[in-house]
Amino acid sequence: MKLVNAMPAALAASRSGRAQPFSEVVSENLDAVYRYLVYLTGDRVAAEDLAAETFEKAFRGWRRFDPHRGAPRTWLCRIAHSVAVDWFRAEARRQRREETYMLDAEMLEESVFSDGLSPDLERALHRLTPAEREVVALRVLLELDGPSAARVLGISQTACSTRLSRALNRLEEEVGDVRD
Amino acid sequence: MSATDMPFERLEALLRGEEPRTLDEKQRASMLSELRAGTLDAPETLRQSVLAAAPGAARRRRTSMPRRRLVLVVVPVAACLAVGAALIHGAFSSGSNPLAANVATRSVFHGKAKFQQNLKAVTHAPAANGAFAKAHTTAGKAFGTPTAAQSKGTLALSDQTAKRVPNAPRALGPLAGDNPVSTVQAYSAVTIPSNRLVHADASMQVVVKDHAALTSATNNATQIVTRLGGYAQSVQYQASRKGYGNAYLDLRVPVGKAETAIGRLGALGQLSSQQVSTQDLQQQFRQQTDTIGSLKRAIAIYQQALNSGSVSGSQRVEVQIRLSSAEHALNSQRKARSHTVASAATADIQLTLTTNQHAFVTVHHKQGRLGRLLGNAGNFLGLEGIIVLYALIVASPFVILGGLGWGLARERRRRGEKALLGSA
Repeated sequence: MKLVNAMPAALAASRSGRAQPFSEVVSENLDAVYRYLVYLTGDRVAAEDLAAETFEKAFRGWRRFDPHRGAPRTWLCRIAHSVAVDWFRAEARRQRREETYMLDAEMLEESVFSDGLSPDLERALHRLTPAEREVVALRVLLELDGPSAARVLGISQTACSTRLSRALNRLEEEVGDVRD
Repeated sequence: MSATDMPFERLEALLRGEEPRTLDEKQRASMLSELRAGTLDAPETLRQSVLAAAPGAARRRRTSMPRRRLVLVVVPVAACLAVGAALIHGAFSSGSNPLAANVATRSVFHGKAKFQQNLKAVTHAPAANGAFAKAHTTAGKAFGTPTAAQSKGTLALSDQTAKRVPNAPRALGPLAGDNPVSTVQAYSAVTIPSNRLVHADASMQVVVKDHAALTSATNNATQIVTRLGGYAQSVQYQASRKGYGNAYLDLRVPVGKAETAIGRLGALGQLSSQQVSTQDLQQQFRQQTDTIGSLKRAIAIYQQALNSGSVSGSQRVEVQIRLSSAEHALNSQRKARSHTVASAATADIQLTLTTNQHAFVTVHHKQGRLGRLLGNAGNFLGLEGIIVLYALIVASPFVILGGLGWGLARERRRRGEKALLGSA
């Protein structure tokens, strides 16, 4: 298991007096942020755009980043969350305008969330809400600890645990339904 | 056991990779493993574009300070500045004259108006036109410094001046630095001229020991003025269980007995402050008498003209109007002169008897400059505290409203976000 929360490289670099280059942070966290955004949006194309926007914002705010307040991954996920919420708002407005939905039934057959997932799990993930997929992505895939995930979501640690538990329960139920 | 009932601790253990214990846990661990096993890397185009945009330059160290640390710095700095300003103010205002320093201190904390009232030193001297004039000295001028009033023929004297000029009227009040007890003994009677029409006003503050003494002094004061031919216009007596008590007496005595009354009333306890002012009414009385004489002569002429029958019809009417007007003016002048005489007949004395020792400032005779500096600095610091408190009281409603607005906006945004992400 990767210890992403134990001792962030940025903090270690800061304590050692060496500042971490932004390109290093990008290399370490790009995949994680992209995966998080895919889970959150359920759309790889949108996740790609949002990831680029996230790192653009992160670069602009890199000087303000304080490694003592959290790992770069947590900070990047917080930015990605904000960017994704804006995207969801825009999508909601667009959907209201066009009265169409982004995802068609045919798209569910396509592998969106990960390569190598079973179709049942893939379908079940599609049926979760973005909020449920988000907490699964943060805690399971990105392996953020409870406080860091709660900070990204802007909720308390208890609420985060509750949301994760409910999301996993629902995921199990959905997988069961799909198999039945 | 259903998956819903799985405790958070076990869920966290499974997330940490611990071995599952139950069938449900095995099922969940399997699902978590499958989720983690899925590979999903960022597209190469995205990686290249982001890396191209991200320079390899190291992050520059932040120059701004975190908010909490900022507060930890700003608050002590502000406190130091406040203390420094207070010390500087104390150093400047302490000066070399302890009495002046006491004056400055008291003017802030005991009410400037009352303090200046205490400092008023009133005396009188014949002016060039034969009238008497009031002269009030202020704090800084009360200590033997000749005033502008003196150059104009009026006299304003302090205790120090009075020591040099025996029998001279004195500035009264404890601010000259005397002990209240010795002040009573040192004060000579204020001279009020008896050969002219003069109106006198006096206010006195006398400290007594306790309630019993207050009651006794109140009764004695009434008896004193009654014996001298005067009376008590009004008496207000207040006493509380805590030992504080006050009596406010508005007394009237004949002007000729005013000096005696002031002296006896001052001896009822410890004379704390005293103010005497006189206003000469002789000239006013003379002018009124002259005007009355002129009017009488005019009336006699008008009456003579009317009785002679030498005036025409229109002139007769005009003379009658003038006669009527002159008679009316004569009546008014007579009333005014009567009022002047009545005003000159009695002196008004406002006597305050109190048991509250703290109502009066204790003068520290042997306080050094350092003591004065610290005292003034402390007082200034208190003043700063009052200002800060006032500002906080004024600003707090706005701060609370702003905070509430910010909290509501944040909660609304959070609810909107929750609804947005919660919908499938």
